Amino acid sequence: MSLEDKSKSLLPFLSSPKLLPDESEAEFQSSLQSLLSELDNPSALAVALVSQLNECLWWIRRHTVDKELLLHEAMARLLTKAGSNWMGSGNSELSVALEHYLNGSAQKDQAALIEEALIDANLTLSDLRAKAFKDAARHIKLVDDLIHRQHQTTRHLQRSIDSIDYKSRLIKRMDLELAALESKQSAKGVLSLDDKPS
Amino acid sequence: MTISHRRSLANQSNALQSTGPRSLAGKRASSQNSRKHGLNSAPDFESSSEYRALVDLIAEEGFSAFACADIASSLLNYRRVMDAYYDTYTSPEPVDEFLRDMNVKASNPIFSELLSPSGSEPQDVREMAAFFATMQRQERRKGGPVSRRSADTHKLIRYQRNAIARLSRAVRHG
Repeated sequence: MSLEDKSKSLLPFLSSPKLLPDESEAEFQSSLQSLLSELDNPSALAVALVSQLNECLWWIRRHTVDKELLLHEAMARLLTKAGSNWMGSGNSELSVALEHYLNGSAQKDQAALIEEALIDANLTLSDLRAKAFKDAARHIKLVDDLIHRQHQTTRHLQRSIDSIDYKSRLIKRMDLELAALESKQSAKGVLSLDDKPS
Repeated sequence: MTISHRRSLANQSNALQSTGPRSLAGKRASSQNSRKHGLNSAPDFESSSEYRALVDLIAEEGFSAFACADIASSLLNYRRVMDAYYDTYTSPEPVDEFLRDMNVKASNPIFSELLSPSGSEPQDVREMAAFFATMQRQERRKGGPVSRRSADTHKLIRYQRNAIARLSRAVRHG
């Protein structure tokens, strides 16, 4: 059974990859295939564990993005608090504008809104970021815990995969040794038969 | 305000009428009332077709029957936790944007207008404003959607820790 067939045959048990709307399935599958390619003829169980490992790595990526988003949320909250346009533009509008502004894809009115808010708050962008980091520290700690958990899970999975790999190598080695012993034995048998005087 | 003895007795006798659901379906429905992720309920993997197929697949790799069963149920349990993890992450408690962004101080005239049919006193308006301010503080403390989903997902860490430890043990000792 090929690697791809093995991973496909296991899909019903592992549930097909659950991705967020903005994530690419092709990218997910290619990272899974690259992990699988590092194993030498993996068993079905190894494929199942590698799929879980790939998902863990995916979660680490998601949570890392979340850390940045948390900072943006806190920055928008600080700007809204300090700004005079409290009722005019809510936190979410400011959040979206800030997101685009930081990505460098803000439209003119969005950039103007952020610059005006920064002047109102009497802050530079780096000051705002530092303040936001302090403000969102509690939530960032939660995300750090989540990332740490995924790292621990990855380690557990890695150890399990290693143990399966070791077991299969051991079985293969024992099979080879057994075959060698058998061939030696049969060779001895032939020799002893040859030695017997007829 | 104190309630009369008669009223209190009436309340007690009415409460005796409310004895919860009686039918099986009602009991089943109410048993799910506070269910959030379902990870505290005991799973029944053994009767599922996935479990049997997984056991057969693992058995091909030379594990004992006991180890196959242990690994299969641990793997399905781990999947159950990770599915709940995904569901929790993707459906956080929604943000009440109106409450979060409203200007409570500037809303005092609206509160007095709302209360005017009952002949509002300045004290009533202040109480209403204080109530909204408290609600707003609670709403803001929860943060935005990202903070909420992180906080909700964080509650599932211990389930993931237990599930992966069980799976790892089953595979390595199998």
